[in-house]
Amino acid sequence: MQDSVVMMKVDDFLNWGRKNSLWPMTFGLACCAIEMMATGGAKYDLERFGCGAFMATPRRADLMIVAGTVTLKMATRIKTLFEQMPEPRYVISMGSCANKGGPYWQHGYHVLKGVDEVVPVDVYVPGCPPRPEALIEGIMTLQKKIANERLLRDKWVKHA
Amino acid sequence: MHNELSSKLASLVSGSNPVVNTPATVGDSSITVEAATILEVCKALKSEGFNVCQCITATDYADRIELTYILADFTKNLEILVKANLGRGDGNGNNKETLPKINSVVSVWNAANFLERECYDMMGINFVGHPDLRRILTPDDWQGYPLRRDYIVQEKYLDMVVNPAHKINSADHMFGKNLKVEIGDPKKVSASWKSNDADEIEDAKDGE
Repeated sequence: MQDSVVMMKVDDFLNWGRKNSLWPMTFGLACCAIEMMATGGAKYDLERFGCGAFMATPRRADLMIVAGTVTLKMATRIKTLFEQMPEPRYVISMGSCANKGGPYWQHGYHVLKGVDEVVPVDVYVPGCPPRPEALIEGIMTLQKKIANERLLRDKWVKHA
Repeated sequence: MHNELSSKLASLVSGSNPVVNTPATVGDSSITVEAATILEVCKALKSEGFNVCQCITATDYADRIELTYILADFTKNLEILVKANLGRGDGNGNNKETLPKINSVVSVWNAANFLERECYDMMGINFVGHPDLRRILTPDDWQGYPLRRDYIVQEKYLDMVVNPAHKINSADHMFGKNLKVEIGDPKKVSASWKSNDADEIEDAKDGE
């Protein structure tokens, strides 16, 4: 048994800490950002999930919520911001525009058809724009994903 | 108001050749002037009291580009549309010299600065004498002028494919049409993605 029980427990402990202190980046592109702000506000209160500390710099953030239309001009900046975030980092694609171009899917000469063309996306949240409940669902889905990660094993145990 | 202004302009600016357009049914009246005299016309209008340049916009007709200046006089509560017709020039590429030219009115209203930049960016009009004629919305290395009728969508911008084949589901293009064919009564389908033209529905039927 290469995996020890203790290792798993440390993983679980780390994951529990990480998933309950996801810090998103203060980053909104279009109308979805309004819903994201509403989610962070008093009524829906993202802080209940430990996710309400919107960081003003990518260097302190774990999570990028791509909320809005990704134009070709912005896409290069998004890539730069993503690369500035420390690992492990996560991306939620929020809304139809960020998922697949949204209403610009046919004639959008200036719109990137999905943010997953430039950065890897963990969770897609559909909607135009998604309601705060939908974004919370997306964040909880991401938390489940984080809870099942094995960071230490992936990093140090090469032949697990 | 338009007729008075037009006769005033004719006497103040020689060669401006103002023509009052009055639409038969709906729409606003406007004054069309010679494009070459636009700067003198604007100076004259400002001295007449039109102190605000609200909007500069352009329309691409098949044979010409029509510039529209929306000017306002806040003391007398007036608003006029001044139009100028330009040739289309060659809008494919990034060469400013091949674009249609018109004098900039930034020296008359400073508000015209960004408006003219937007007009240049979207329609490809070279405003001669503009202090800083750069693109304002699209990136500096963008090719072409997107709101022109003959604009061709780029296949790639930097290393990003604009319309990747695996993301474009061509079956979706016909979704509204096909639904109308299936339902039978086009009025019951609210899909307005494509024209409601009955011929197109026929085409969709034939295509199946």
